Amino acid sequence: MTPQVPSVLAEMAQLLVRNSAPDVAPGERANALTLAAAVLGVAAEVWDAAAENLVQENRALAALLDDAAGEASLRLSALRAENARLRSLLIAAHAAAEEAGDTAREEAIWAELIASTERRKLSISPS
Amino acid sequence: MAGHPLEPRLAAYIAGRLPDAADVTVSGLERISGGASRETYRFRARWRQGDEVVARRLILRRDPPASLIDTERRVEFAAYQAFHGSAVPVPAMLWLEEADGPLDHPFFIAEEISGFQASPQLMFAGGYDAVLPRLAERKWTILGEIARADPEALGLTQVMTPVAPDACWRKELDHWEAILDSDEAEPQPIARAAIRWLGRNPPPPAQKLSVVHGDYRTGNFLYDEAGEIHGVLDWEMAHLGDPLEDLAWGFNPVWQFGRGLAGGLASQDEAIAIWERASGLVADPVALHWWILFNCVKGQGIWVGSARAFIDGGNTDPIMVYAAWWLLNAQDRAIAKVMGRL
Repeated sequence: MTPQVPSVLAEMAQLLVRNSAPDVAPGERANALTLAAAVLGVAAEVWDAAAENLVQENRALAALLDDAAGEASLRLSALRAENARLRSLLIAAHAAAEEAGDTAREEAIWAELIASTERRKLSISPS
Repeated sequence: MAGHPLEPRLAAYIAGRLPDAADVTVSGLERISGGASRETYRFRARWRQGDEVVARRLILRRDPPASLIDTERRVEFAAYQAFHGSAVPVPAMLWLEEADGPLDHPFFIAEEISGFQASPQLMFAGGYDAVLPRLAERKWTILGEIARADPEALGLTQVMTPVAPDACWRKELDHWEAILDSDEAEPQPIARAAIRWLGRNPPPPAQKLSVVHGDYRTGNFLYDEAGEIHGVLDWEMAHLGDPLEDLAWGFNPVWQFGRGLAGGLASQDEAIAIWERASGLVADPVALHWWILFNCVKGQGIWVGSARAFIDGGNTDPIMVYAAWWLLNAQDRAIAKVMGRL
């Protein structure tokens, strides 16, 4: 997810400290805390499956792209960097398939793209 | 408890704009939730004008350090001014300040339209069910009035860049593609596929050059229990362009609020019929499909920009995170649906 969860949690911690000050206007405090709570709820929802989803997606993309690079680390930051590298390659492969009229390749790429949106779908998703 | 620290500065500013007023005070300043492109506050201002005491409920819209949408507040201010008193209900604008000095960032002040709701969640919580058809009628009738209006007669060609009817699509697509290029924190393969399709399949020229509100959707207007609309808000993306762009923004699937209806209010066909009656224009299905997909890309540009503002530290308000987390993947799914892939 973008922005990444660790930086968001750090910022929400600072927000909680700021809003613990007694001179914050009640309306502004309520707005800030309500939104912060919603953000924390989403972070909690994605936490457990985050690494597994990235590993699954990176393996699927690597297979689709016939890319040999492996998993050097299971840290989320490393998995995300690898995911970004593979998705960038996927964009080029998708454009090339369209250019070549390779509909079978296009279908395979779209199937993976739809699968990626299923992995990333949140309970609050409007679509 | 002491008042908000902005109150005395705001009072000093208003006093400077009202040379005949005395004893200007500002109280009750509080931020209204939800605004991600401008900080929005409501407040009360009082002053003495001769023997009379004047009390007004006003709105302050101030630029944040970094915005979800980077726009000229002068254009937004002019759009409100142009439609005030017309069939398109908008709040009255009072003062525009583009310097940083008075309140640290540019801002404008407007009359508050008080006593009405904007929340889509409240609209769909059950208490308004009986008036939802009326709200749909009013929503797309007002949008039709915006589409029908003559931008030149409104004076808006002075502040908004005119564009040839056959160039509207390219101007908008280039604009939002450039935002994705500059702001994306990770590759966007679905949005990029949509952009390629849009470029290969341009729509027909706009049937007229219209004012485009740019964010006309459920949630950006004030409504009441009778289903009447009292104010169209959030004109920060207003520009001149193809009127179908505005109609199509409301058909972006992320604005269905889980109800399977355009804006949560009506079927797409019903909305189009209302809009066509009010505007006197035609929603060509092929052109409309192009603009719906375009608006999905535009939406992704906005959510990507929201994430970027947070990542760069320009605006760490939690709304910037929530908008991105809530909508980035949902917008991808909406693109896939519009392209017939989901």
